[in-house]
Amino acid sequence: MRLLMNDIILEIDSIKKSFVRNIVNIRGEQEDERFNIIDDLDLLIPQGKITALIGGNGAGKTTLFNIISNFTDADSGDVLYKKNGSSVSILGLPPFKITRMGIGRMFQDDHIFPNMSVLENMLLADDNKFAETPFTSFLKPRQNEIVEKERIEKARQIFINLFQDPNPFWEKRNDPAKSLSYGQQRLLGLARLFMANYKLVLLDEPTAGVNSQIIKQAMAIIRRMVKENNVTVFLIEHNMNVVLELADFCSFMSHGRITAFGTPEDVIGNDKVRRTYLGV
Amino acid sequence: MINIYIILTVSTNLLVGMTNLLSLGQAAFYGIGAYLAVFALMILKLPLLPTLVLVMAGTGLLSLIIAYPSLRLKGDYFVLATLGFQLIIFTILYNWISVTRGPYGIPGIPAPKLAGVLQISGIIPFLILSLLLVLFVIFIFYKLVHSPFGRVLKGVRDDEIAVLSLGRNVTAFRVWAFVISSAFIGIAGMIYATYVSYIDPTSFDLNEAIFILAAVLIGGTGNIKGPVVGAVFVVVLPELLRFVGFPDSIAANLRQIVYGLSLIVLMYYRPQGIAGEYRLQ
Repeated sequence: MRLLMNDIILEIDSIKKSFVRNIVNIRGEQEDERFNIIDDLDLLIPQGKITALIGGNGAGKTTLFNIISNFTDADSGDVLYKKNGSSVSILGLPPFKITRMGIGRMFQDDHIFPNMSVLENMLLADDNKFAETPFTSFLKPRQNEIVEKERIEKARQIFINLFQDPNPFWEKRNDPAKSLSYGQQRLLGLARLFMANYKLVLLDEPTAGVNSQIIKQAMAIIRRMVKENNVTVFLIEHNMNVVLELADFCSFMSHGRITAFGTPEDVIGNDKVRRTYLGV
Repeated sequence: MINIYIILTVSTNLLVGMTNLLSLGQAAFYGIGAYLAVFALMILKLPLLPTLVLVMAGTGLLSLIIAYPSLRLKGDYFVLATLGFQLIIFTILYNWISVTRGPYGIPGIPAPKLAGVLQISGIIPFLILSLLLVLFVIFIFYKLVHSPFGRVLKGVRDDEIAVLSLGRNVTAFRVWAFVISSAFIGIAGMIYATYVSYIDPTSFDLNEAIFILAAVLIGGTGNIKGPVVGAVFVVVLPELLRFVGFPDSIAANLRQIVYGLSLIVLMYYRPQGIAGEYRLQ
């Protein structure tokens, strides 16, 4: 399958990243070894589609996500993001600026705010940052009130849209987020992404460790993200059923490189992938 | 005294309870506020309100200079940086004798004048003035905590990576919290200087910094009533222990011991403080 260049939202261009790790060599001595976690990796992410990234543990999938959102520095290479028709390099920008360009991120370990209420978790994710400077709420109390009401209404709409009405999230909106079940916390992490107008979201194992009911809900939410808001999704996933059902494209990562790319059926059916990753 | 400590703890809470930054440098800003107030009152002969503005601007500005290098440090290293800052300020106050009179202190600080005429002297007017300032500080911090700004600070406290990933500049919020906290601590310094009418650097040493921090942690962090309770507790408890009939010869020492023990017991049974909602990590 061929992709036209103007359908690409993210272009990952010869990214390299190495760590120094301490190993014990054959003679039983301690030795520092340079280890390429990402080794000259190229990947194109198609616009408006769901692209899955699969691969074994330690293949460098999360590291790649961290390089895109710059929580980790790359050694060399470039990441180009297409915004309003022109490509800009986002490599090395501070993480909060990358987010402001429209790239959202959901982490493997949630990163919701456990001691804040469910509603506050949503409000803090709003892309309208009005009154987040210290004294704006003093100087413009009326406008602040209006914006806060809008934010709360936006959160309520998202909850009702994604889950049915009445839904547990809106009912528990004033409870601390840590009181939600693990599965609900993951769904909250997904719902939070709807508060901002993202063009691309990176999802790191959205269905890890949750039951089949939550997996279904999570998949439905991701589909709606793409369909209704025209978001591009790039997700790391270990559950092959989810990849087969959800993804338009699938890339297989091994030893720091993308070694297979195509439709999920092709990639998962690929002999090499089956041998090295799935073990069948 | 309670009023002074309430201002100190409520301001410190913005750093400790809201942003998860443990600072050992709070007494330095307290001292800077006091010395700036003396400068404004005795040399510039300013009335109360301009003094207040000058003190807040001065301490705030200085804290901004401190904030940038120290906030690049994480966790324990930030604590050490504020400790270093505390020691530096104390040494300057102590040894720059031509300006601060060092260990001799500055006596005879005049009572502040309201609107240029009304002298605030005597216990009752002073109590009213300090109460008004406390209410002002509590009001400001209550509003801050419940504003969208406060929400982001709470987010930084809970999970700074998540705040970054939601497009907020975490460092900028930390700097704001640091500067606002310091500026308001300056007010406490001003009240102290005019109330006691004599200052010397030993009131603003590391012990004082630890004492402020202890008051915040005892009262509890994360909301407004915690630090207020903490301030009342640490100021009132030693006074209350005076009334317990210890034999004269060991009274002072016993009081200290009971005080220390009560802190340990409290931290054991209520690690989030008496009225706190958040436990420091």
